[in-house]
This record gives sequence, structure tokens and C-alpha cells, in this order.
Amino acid sequence: MAAQISESRELLQGQNRGKHSGAAFAEDTTSSSGTFEGQPPFVAAFDRFARPGEVDAVSAGRLLLNELSCTACHATDDAGLIPKRGPRLDGAGNRLNHDWIARFLSNPQQAKHGSTMPAMLNGLPAEMQEQTVRSLVAFLGSLTEPFPVIKGTGRRPVPGEFWRQGDVANGRLLYHRIGCVACHAPDENYETVVTKPTPLDDLLSQLDPQELREAGLLSATRPVESVPLGDPGKKYSRQSLTHFLLDPHRVRPGGRMPDFQLSVMEAADIAAWLLREQSPDFRFSSNADIRVPSIVNQGRQLFSELRCSSCHTVDSLDSPLPATALSDLDLKSRRQCIDSHGRGVPLFLLDGLQLAAIRAAIEDSRKEHVAAKASDQLHLTMLTMNCLACHERDKYGGVGRNRKAYFETYKNVDIGDEGRLPPPLTGVGHKLKSSWMERVLHGKGSLRSHLSIRMPVFVGAQINALPALLAATDNDGPEPTEQDVFGDRTDLAEAGRLLLDVGCVQCHSLRGETLPGVVGTDLEGVAERVHPQWFREFLLNPGRLKPRTRMPSFFPQGRSQNLAVLDGNPDRQIAAMWMYLKGIGNHTLPPKLQQARSKQFELKPADRPLLLRTFMDRVGTYAIAVGFPQGIHVAYDAEQIRPALAWRGQFLDAQGTWFNRFAPPANPLGADLIDLPDGVSLAFLKSLDDAWPLQDSEIGNAEYRFLGYRLDSGGIPVFRYHIGQIEVEDRIVPGHQELIRSLHIKDHAPTKRVSPLWFRSHQGTTLELVGKKSCRNREGLMVTLDDRLAAQSVLRDSEQGMDWIVPLSFDRELTLEVRYQW
Amino acid sequence: MVKRVIHLILLVVWCCTATCSAAAVENDYYRLISVATSASPSHSRSKNWKPAPEGLALEVGGLAVLDNRRVAVAIRKGEVWFLDGVYDDPPKNVTFHRFAQALHEPLGLLKVGDVLYTAQRSEVTALRDTDHDGQADEYETVARGWGLTGGYHEYAFGPVLDRQGNLWITLNIGMGLPKLQLGRTIRDAPFGYVQARWRGWGMKVTPGGDLVPVCAGMRSPCGIGMNHAGDMFYTDQQGNWVATNSLHHMRDGAFFHHAEALASMNLEGSRITGVKQVPDGLPYPQALQQFEQLRPPAVWFPYKKTGQSVTDIMLDESEGKFGPFAGQLFIGEFSQSGMLRVFLEKVAGEYQGACFPFRSRFASAVLRLAQGTDGSVFAGLTNRGWSSLGTSDYGLQRLVWTGRTPFEIKEMRALSDGFELVFTKPAEIRSAADPASYEMRSHTYRYHSTYGSDEIQKQELNIDHVTVSGDGHRVRLRVQGLREFFVHELIAGGVRSRDGDELLHTSAWYTLNHIPK
Repeated sequence: MAAQISESRELLQGQNRGKHSGAAFAEDTTSSSGTFEGQPPFVAAFDRFARPGEVDAVSAGRLLLNELSCTACHATDDAGLIPKRGPRLDGAGNRLNHDWIARFLSNPQQAKHGSTMPAMLNGLPAEMQEQTVRSLVAFLGSLTEPFPVIKGTGRRPVPGEFWRQGDVANGRLLYHRIGCVACHAPDENYETVVTKPTPLDDLLSQLDPQELREAGLLSATRPVESVPLGDPGKKYSRQSLTHFLLDPHRVRPGGRMPDFQLSVMEAADIAAWLLREQSPDFRFSSNADIRVPSIVNQGRQLFSELRCSSCHTVDSLDSPLPATALSDLDLKSRRQCIDSHGRGVPLFLLDGLQLAAIRAAIEDSRKEHVAAKASDQLHLTMLTMNCLACHERDKYGGVGRNRKAYFETYKNVDIGDEGRLPPPLTGVGHKLKSSWMERVLHGKGSLRSHLSIRMPVFVGAQINALPALLAATDNDGPEPTEQDVFGDRTDLAEAGRLLLDVGCVQCHSLRGETLPGVVGTDLEGVAERVHPQWFREFLLNPGRLKPRTRMPSFFPQGRSQNLAVLDGNPDRQIAAMWMYLKGIGNHTLPPKLQQARSKQFELKPADRPLLLRTFMDRVGTYAIAVGFPQGIHVAYDAEQIRPALAWRGQFLDAQGTWFNRFAPPANPLGADLIDLPDGVSLAFLKSLDDAWPLQDSEIGNAEYRFLGYRLDSGGIPVFRYHIGQIEVEDRIVPGHQELIRSLHIKDHAPTKRVSPLWFRSHQGTTLELVGKKSCRNREGLMVTLDDRLAAQSVLRDSEQGMDWIVPLSFDRELTLEVRYQW
Repeated sequence: MVKRVIHLILLVVWCCTATCSAAAVENDYYRLISVATSASPSHSRSKNWKPAPEGLALEVGGLAVLDNRRVAVAIRKGEVWFLDGVYDDPPKNVTFHRFAQALHEPLGLLKVGDVLYTAQRSEVTALRDTDHDGQADEYETVARGWGLTGGYHEYAFGPVLDRQGNLWITLNIGMGLPKLQLGRTIRDAPFGYVQARWRGWGMKVTPGGDLVPVCAGMRSPCGIGMNHAGDMFYTDQQGNWVATNSLHHMRDGAFFHHAEALASMNLEGSRITGVKQVPDGLPYPQALQQFEQLRPPAVWFPYKKTGQSVTDIMLDESEGKFGPFAGQLFIGEFSQSGMLRVFLEKVAGEYQGACFPFRSRFASAVLRLAQGTDGSVFAGLTNRGWSSLGTSDYGLQRLVWTGRTPFEIKEMRALSDGFELVFTKPAEIRSAADPASYEMRSHTYRYHSTYGSDEIQKQELNIDHVTVSGDGHRVRLRVQGLREFFVHELIAGGVRSRDGDELLHTSAWYTLNHIPK
């Protein structure tokens, strides 16, 4: 793979690029600049699009004006030209190896092929060059600043001296997976998981050049050159490179290197990989001159004189005065940066194409201009920020042909290119709301967790302008509002839920819920992300807006396939889906997803009861829910020691209890919820005037001792507790539309019993006797005792309302049965 | 071409070793074997988090070795599983068998005879299989009586058995209690603190079944363990009132740090009485003077440098089968997915000692540690709710000593004028005897109600004299400016073994509560 890339690179260079010495290229040189040679500056989009002639000369030149930071010195009022500028140099002293700074300053192109840094010492006699470098290194070396202290939190693990702990193998994996190789060269020996070419690449390989040209696909077959990395092992320490990767914008405000929002260990791992040749304890060469004030001062002065601060921010220095304005430049002068040299004139080793492009752009800048078109500005931004390295737009760009294999899907699920490649941006201004686009660019819009590549954060004026430019370019006028497109149809949401159940859920997740094995973009929040008009158009004909998409059309020829919902009316159906998705937080999931979820988390007692110990709103924090196959369920409150809540139908969803960090209460899924009598069921009363004892939830009643439960052979829990010397077994089973509770009571020392034991069979604000054996409260719970107990029962007033209590006369053992109906 | 290389006066410092990363080297001595680890598609902090679709959600909350084939594992969703074949290398044929279910976030597992004990949120439970069908059929409530409002931080950890037959548990302090449940908090609690009963306390369940409060002031006491002398310890995690992670000796009436545990001070059975005022914002040594019941930790674990959330405590009882650290304590690390090591000694009647990095790069947060019958160590992993390094959200790994002895600081003892180091292997005398091979500095923390503390009152210390024993095993460092109740950080970067190796871990942190006389 990488071998292919480098092979193609040589081919390309053979055709268009080459080694040029400054001397060889200058038309007429009298200076001593013959020592500077190397490859022309590398500008990714220029090489990819301008060299093959896919960008006109003026645009290509404007791209170079930006990337070579021409307007950092040569002022212009053209708002579209924003110089890239170079790295901030505060902190260079402990970020960069001093030895490397010296080599780089002496000859940038030699130290880093393709660097956009011009040779600044051009024109100086050799001995003066040496002296200048020495002074500059002393000055830059003296510019130290401490590395930022990364705060460790529960959310962000930060091991001590994490930069020393990078793992080369893991760094290699990350480098090839998260997107570094969209721009930089992969390792030749890295084996990708994906081995099949994409369908498009497959097609391309079958066409000959003539056919490709005719099909307009030549661009797609062209290899994409890698942005050079130089020799990081000579330049950085693990600490400085790790910190650079953690926050590249701090050092490079131009933002060409985006911020992948790496964790500290990811940054340490990637740094370890990039510096794999280096010993982990490699220390910088530190220049002794930095402690010699005279040399440092001389360096500072030279730094200003050479206009270094035009491109490189050093906080203590002012920007130098501007040079000749861009539009006033004399392209015939012999003293100019781009193709002639003289003392103090930066030397860019431009090749012929680059030179022609820049000239065209400067000539163009002198013309009278109407306000720049949004589309032109957008085009320049996409080239400048190299968005096209990953994203295709209007048949331009996208992941380079031989790099696609590095882009993988989570667990290598095959969901086509959409599942592993960054999304195309054709028409994206029509698709995405600007507010969402901003979030994406700021790294807060990660949706496609199935992609191994990450969308990094970009910064800068160009990026800030991007959402508006996209909107202006891709739309004829203001986007129609939801009201314009769908009208006020929130009433259709339920129909939308059913419609989503048919096709959408086969590929998309909703609120994190998926059908088994499905990997796809979650549709939660889609109404905040996309324009309603796009949603409508996309659903009607996905392929028109997104060629080669896997999204099928559910409305072929504009007709719905589903005639059962909303009379098959496509407009209303699409409006319905929009309305459902818009309010998805308040709606239940489509039936298939509900089923999928319940398969994972719903407890469905089949042949034996199922238990869940959890928090429940109406039971408390000691709830033991028991679900029966008969479809009648009860939750036992182990704190108050009583059955507390009963219901029918479905039992419980255990997801919150099992897997939610915040331990939310589990609540019954079924219907007909009824609270069972409050408080303890058994108590010793000296007389009928004795109040029923309260179980204080905070302290508990020392007399009552919960002992847990046993599961009988059928899996039915038998709850056990002691009241003083009395031992109780409490068992509840479903009957026909009722719960049957049996209390088995034992007293091993009946002679020690001081007061009689009472059973409180019912309790409520008001109670009503029904027949001779039953009693009902206002909520509709009817409790039925057997004849013998009922005959002895007493209905009495209590502080809470009324009690229905029964004295239990027994010697050593008693079983009583009580039925609950509601 | 540049014809002349620019020669500059360069001061080049090359510190070269042939090693790559620390973890790779650790692996030469202690090898990690994954018994079962799994990655889930979503981040474990996400509200939609789910375990991986395949396999058991092995989020280990409790871990008990059963025999030389099996371990029992309590998982956070509330089940106990027996895993068979876990010692195999590679463990290709592990079988899973569910023993118990419907437990409420069990965060401990203890085997005593045929009974497994676990602490659920609301109680300590004994699990028994009385009909011997391989499934627990008796879930006996052994002890309860602490408060539970329903706040998710209200974890109960344990139990761990001591030599007197007591079961020890620790109770997480409540944080962010759910509003509806505030009725479950202590009425008229001291200082107006809002906590449920015994939150932030260490308790024991006596053989007679009584629940006895022992000590208080805990925040997230996630790990409990016994040292070789039979004393009980717990670990705590940085947060409000807790300056950084720490190891404490649990003993009657001791108060550690989290002031809200004082909500239970006036309850019947409390072992802490008479606290009139809690200092908030003082340096720790002064806070100790003002707060009579406050006891310093035996070991502070400096934040980030050693870890961010310490967890389990494991005594190496393998008598050498787990390498040269027999009798020492090993500590799990959550955020950084690692393991630490602790050396303890008693000075002035109280425990104090040093901590050392031990092993990094577990697959996920290490919550539980248990030593296998062969001396290897099982690590139960789960990072749900927080974050950790590593590749997985949960799982079980085993750490095996390869038989090679790493060059490490095995022991670090306080002396009246410095420290004594004992190495695992003889040091090369010249480097060990050179004071320049060592750096030392000290710091303390602020005792306050806010989250964590910076290292304060930092001071560089001068090591002015070093003595090496003839066999190269022991070094005595004479240090100027020792301070009581300060952490003394040692970096022994210059010491080499006789084979020329650097120390596998060059740093150690000694919590010097008392300078020996």
C-alpha cells in the first residue's frame, strides 16, 4: 500500500516536481545563494489539484499565497487571503531540539523536505550564515516555557510523566486508524484489516486511462502525496511531541494540523511511534549559548531584522513593519522572494508551476473585484485547510485512492464506504444546519462512532466562516423552515414511530438502541442537525443527494411502499417521521427496537419467578421485585418487611439497575399497580388501644430482624424474619387474578410471649368491609382472610385512618393465608 | 547541499537505555494474561452505555478464588459466576456458570467454607447452595442497618474476614442524594450534614451477627484488606475532604477525613465523640493538631504520579510465588488501570510506609485483586461510571510472575536521620553510594472540604550522605530536613543494579508521620 504511494510519488515528481536549486531556478542570480537547494514547498492541495490542472491558476496561486504566508509580509485587503503563518516560537527552547533548530535554520528544505519555511539566510556570506544561525538558535533556545500541566480527573486519567509511558505498538495502531494517514505517510509494513478495494476503486481499476478521462474519474485514480513529517526523532522529545499532539493549535495557530482531542496516553503512544527510533530517555541537545546574553540579544535582533516575527509569534516581540503591499509588488524586480534572491529576501524554492500560479494570483489581485463569491471563498478554504484530504465534495478530493484501506469500521462490520470513510460534503450546506456544522468543526459533533477515523477540531478564521459559506453556496435562498416544509404536524409523531419501524431501524440506532448487530448513525437529534427540506428530499430520493449511498429509497417514484400508515401519503409520512424524531426524547421507541431492548433488559419470567433487587419509587431502597410467569408480580420491601407493590402484565426493565451508573429506580412495566398495606404485618399488641408499631425507615425497629430469603424448589422466594423470638416465613404466589400470601409463624418459646401477636391484614385512610371475610380500601385493594381469622378480625381507627387487625392465637406454629385482589 | 555542517557549542545529554516503554519492561517480569476482556461500542460514562453484545458483562465487583481451577466473580449487574479454567495459559476454554443472581450491585466477594459472602447496597448477604444443585438457594441477610437513600454513590464494599472472624465492610459517603429520599437521612445530624446512617464508616459484623461501627471519615472506601500482621486497612479516593488517594489502618475510634461521616457521630454505637469543630482549609499537619480524632493515613498516594483512584488491597501470601514482595500489600488502581505496591512499618505504634508503582496497562480499571493458589494475581476490571485507561470496559486478567526478578526498591524504611532502602537485587556499589543518584523532596496537603488538594509546602531535600551495605542490598540515605506528616518523594534515577539495570520504577513516596527516635 505505502509502497504504491511512494512509487506513484516518484512518478509524479518525475513529471511535475523535481529537485530545484535556488540558483538553477533563478532567472538571473548574482547572489551566493547557490548553497540552498531542495524540493519545492509542499502544499497538499496544490499538489493534488493544481498540478493536474484541476484548479485554475489564480485559485492555485491564492492557495499558495496563503500556505506560503505571503500576505504575512505583503499586506492585502483581500479578506480571502489569510496567511498560514508559522509555529508560535515561545517555548521553542524546550519544545525543539536546539541542534535541530540550527540545522533547520541553516537550510529548511534540507532539514525537512517540502517545508513551507523559506530559506532566510539566502544571500548571506557563508560565515555570516553560521554566525546568524548561532545567534538565532541562542535566542530561540532561550525561549522556554513550561509544558502545560494536564489536570487528571475521574473523566481524564493522566498518569504521572505520561509522555514517558507511550507504547510504540499502540501508537502505530492509532496513527494508522484515527486519521493521521489521511495526510501523512503510512508505514509500509502496516497491515490493514480491510483488504478489499472499495467498489469505486474496483471500478477504477478496470478502466483504462481513456475511459477514466471520459468518465471524469481521472482525479480519483491519482495518488495523493503525503504531508512530510520531516524527522521528528531529531526535532522533538517524547514530552514535547506528546504535548504538541495534545494541543497542536497552541503551537500552530494556523490550524493546518488539527486537534484530534487525544487522551494523554493516546498522544504519548503516537509520539512513541513517531519517535520510535529514539531512546525513551533522549534528551535535547541544549545550546550553551542560551546562557550568553550578548548572543541571545543578537539573535533577538536578527529575528526582528529578518522579519521572522511576521510569521512566528514571540510574545515579547512586536510584528515588524509590513513589506510592499501585495498588489504593489513588482513582478519584474530582481529582488523578490519568489524567484530571485538577495540579502534578506526569503528564498522559496518554487517550481515553475508554483511560480506561475503565484504570479497569476498577484496579477489578479490588481484587478477591480466585485465582492468575492461565497463559492470561490469556500473553494479556497477547502483547499487551504485540506478538508478534501478526507471529504469528497463535488467530485473533488476524498480519501486518496490507496489510503482507503486504513479506514476501518468498528469491529469491521461491513456497511460499505459510508461505514468507514468520512462523509462526502457535496451539498452539505443544504443538508446541515449551520449550528450543527459549527459543533462538528469544534469537535462536539461526533456521531459516527462506528468509524475508526475521528473528525478532529479545526480552528481559525477560515473555519469560523465555513458554515456560512457552505450555507450560502449550497442554497439558493434561506432554508425553508419546518413550518414551511411540514406544517404543524406534531400529531403525526406516533405514525412516524411506526414508519421508522419498517426500514430505518434495520440500519440506524435510536437513543443508543439498535437491532442486534446493527451499526449505524443514531437518529436521535437528527432534527437539530439537518434541515427539514433536506430530510424530505433525502427520504424521497436518497441517491439524488448522496450518490452510492446505502440508504434505500422508501418512496420509489415518490410513492410510499407502506400504504397502511397515513393512507400511504408520502408527504404526511415524511412529516410524521420528522415529528417523531424531533421529539424522540418523549416518545417510546419503534416496536422492533423496543423488542430488541426488552430482549436485552426486560425481565420476562418464563418457567420460574425472576427476582431483581433494586431501588423502586413506591417500594423504597430495599426493594426485592418478584416476577411470576403468571403475569402477576410483587415487590417486597425488605426494609419494612412487607409486600409493598403489586402489578399485572410485564414485569421490569433491568437496564437501569444493571448498567446505569446513576442507579435509577426500576419501575414496573406492567399495569394495574396497587400498593399493598403499609407497615409491618405482625406486631405484639398489649391491648386493642395499642398503636400499631411504626417501622422507622431511618433506624429500623430492633425487634424486627430481616433474615433474607430462601428459594424453594420452584424458585419462589420465601422471605424470613424474626420478631423477637417469633420466626416468620412470608411467601407470596399468584393465584387467579390475585396474590396469595401465606405467613408461616413459629414460636420456639411460647411461654415467653408477653403480649398476643396480631396480624394487620389491611390498612388505609378508610376501609370498607365486603362480605364477612373481605375488606377494601379506597384505592381498591381488597384483602380476604379465611373464615376463622375473619371471624376474629377487628376494624379499628388508627392515626393513619383505619386498621383491620386479627389476633393470632397459637402455641408453637401457625400458618395464615391472605388474598389480595384489585 | 549544505557544504559545511554548522558546528555549535552543544551540550548534549544523552541518557540512553535500550528499553522502550515502561509497560513493555514490566511485562518482562510480570506478564498479563487476559482471561476475558471486552470492549463496548459506547463510552462507559455515557447514559446509553451497554456492555458488549456478546459474552457475559464481566464487570467485576467482587472476586474470590475457589480452588486451583476456578474463581468466583460478583458482577455489578448483580450476579455471581463461577469461572472454570482460568489458570490456563492461554485461557482458551474458560467456562462460565451462574451461581447467584438478583443482588444489588455487589462490591465484594468472600469465600468462607462453602459460603460466599457479599455486600449488597443494603446488606451483607451469605449465599448458600443448600441442595447442592450448583445454584445458591439461600440468600441470608447477615447484617444490615446502615442508611440508603438511593444515591448512586452509596456503595457498600466488602466483606473481608479478619482473624477473629469479623466481617469488615466499608460504606461510601453519600454524594448528590436524590431529593425524594432525603427523609432517609439522619435527623438533626451534627454540623447540619445530610447523610444516611453510618455513611462514611468502617463497620464490622461480629461472629455473633452484630453490626459494629469501628471508624469513620471515609469517602470512597473501595478497598479493604488485611496485612500479614492481621490488621485491617482500607483505601480511600481523592475528592472532597480527601487530599489524594490514601491507605488507612482501620481501628477503633479513628477518624480519617471525610467530615460528613460525622453525621452519624451521635448515633448509638458511634466510636467518635466530642468533635466540636472541623477545621477546613488547614495544612494537614496543623489540622491534625486541631482535630483530635483525626488520624493521618498510613500512606498517601500522590495524585496522578501513582494513580487517581486506588481500589483493592491484596496481601501477597504466596511466600515468593509472586516474586520478591512476599508479605507486602498490593493496591489496585482504577483510572490508570494499574497496580501499586506498598511497604508498611510501625513507627511510634502506628503504621506508615511507602508506595511504589508496580504494573500498568491492564485492560481496564482494576477494581478487585485476588491471589490464586499458584501465587498469580487475578485482577477484576470494570470502569463503568468513570473512565480508565485501557482497551476494555470490564473483564478479568491474571498477572503472573515470570520468574525474573525486577530491580526494584523493595522496602523503604524511615530512620531517625533519613531512610533505608532495600533492593530486590544487589545494587552496583558506586552508583548506589553516590548521593547524586538520588533526589528527594517533600510536601503535604491541605485538609479541606473542596475536591482534592495540591501538594503544598513543597521542599527540596538534601541527601548529604549515602551508605551502602557490603552486599549492595541496602542503602542508608542521610536526609536533611525531614518533616513529620509530610510525604517524602524519592527518585533514585541514578542507581544501577550489578547487571547495569536502572530501577524498573525509580520513584517511591514515603508518608513520614513519625520520625523514628
